[in-house]
Amino acid sequence: MATHPNDLSAVRAPLENAHGLPNAHYVDPAMFEEEKRAVLFASWAGLAVAADVPENGDAVPLEFAGIPLLLIRDRAGQVRVFENICRHRGMILVSEPKKIEGAIRCPYHSWCYSTAGKLISTPHVGGAGHNTHPAIVKDDLGLNEVRSHIWFDTVFINIDGKADPFEVVHADLLERWREFDQPMYHGGADSRFDLQVETNFKLAVENYCESYHLPWIHPGLNSYSRLEDHYNIAAPGKYSGQGTLVYRQLKGPDDMVFPDFANLSDKWDTGAEYVAVYPNVLLGAQRDHCFVIILEPNTQTTTTEHVHLYYADPKVSEDMRARNAHLWRGVFEEDIFVVEGMQRGRAAPSFDGGRFSPVMDGPTHCFHDWVAGCVQAHRTQAQAAE
Amino acid sequence: MSDLDDRLLAAHARDDRRALVTLYGEAGMTANDIDASCFYLTHAYIYALEMGHPDADSLHARLAKHGRV
Repeated sequence: MATHPNDLSAVRAPLENAHGLPNAHYVDPAMFEEEKRAVLFASWAGLAVAADVPENGDAVPLEFAGIPLLLIRDRAGQVRVFENICRHRGMILVSEPKKIEGAIRCPYHSWCYSTAGKLISTPHVGGAGHNTHPAIVKDDLGLNEVRSHIWFDTVFINIDGKADPFEVVHADLLERWREFDQPMYHGGADSRFDLQVETNFKLAVENYCESYHLPWIHPGLNSYSRLEDHYNIAAPGKYSGQGTLVYRQLKGPDDMVFPDFANLSDKWDTGAEYVAVYPNVLLGAQRDHCFVIILEPNTQTTTTEHVHLYYADPKVSEDMRARNAHLWRGVFEEDIFVVEGMQRGRAAPSFDGGRFSPVMDGPTHCFHDWVAGCVQAHRTQAQAAE
Repeated sequence: MSDLDDRLLAAHARDDRRALVTLYGEAGMTANDIDASCFYLTHAYIYALEMGHPDADSLHARLAKHGRV
């Protein structure tokens, strides 16, 4: 029996009895708009990786759920995120990736901003050749900065500015992966790729969280990573995913392997973990390389997956890097028909959100429960404001 | 100014901002009154500011001398 799209009580029920989120959360543009505010803007969402702006002055225009943003590494080396608009007439400031050598100049009336967002010049604002006016106070008109935090080289943003600090929200995960709080190096152009997927971003999270599908969808993993070698990770209200006990390193000619990250404990000799940091970041931690996947929610039915691979050393074998990228691309492409199939399945009016395996689907339900909680909290706040 | 106008238009056409800094600076030197001079100097300064041109500070100082920044 289909549930009412606004009834989330079945989602929040205990795992054994719970249903998944109703269809509307995957197909309805109005629900997508509500989830933007309740889920994407109210939490710490992944926008990009710091490696996208490797040098001071590097600037990249991005959109996040329709909002024009500017990712920039300022002159002092700090990565910042601004709304990509001039405070004068709301013109888009930067239209393509570029190096800011001096100032960010608006292409309309040439108001100029420092890479740290400070308004530094307002040409002719007081008339031709008069570049000041008492009504235009530069200190009040810097670029609108979006709250951001970098962890695991991932640029997390909190659009509404109301979330608890990232270190507070994710204290458990930061502690869990404390050993990886060390330099990690992006593999470069051959270690990044995008996948365009016809699915709501949540289905990509849900699929990533669980190991239940591995033997069916990724049979190539079976020989060295069987279902029973995996365990669930579920931190209610925070993150979820899966771990493996039998991680094996990629080997090249003469048994060449990537160098390990420094000073890892024995757990990581054969262990690896794969965690979804809600709402839209998928991370993998392994002894010799890590990966970051940013899920860019384009519409309620389309997502871009931005994949980045990282190593413990800035110089690793180019051939090995290419092989590793090829391997992971293959694995992630194997998941596409699944998430696109589940998306198409959400057009079936009788689908009730589905049921969860009490043993295998805990991490996936953990995510559903978190989304439902965010939406409920948003609705409660909206009602209180009326 | 016609030759300078032509060179300015050509610099704009090829989006040569380094040349624009020089040419607008030159226009600022040859303008007949303070407002016109500061108009051109402002353009020179803005393009210099944008590209981190070494003349940005001196152009700013020239505008500041006339209370225009």
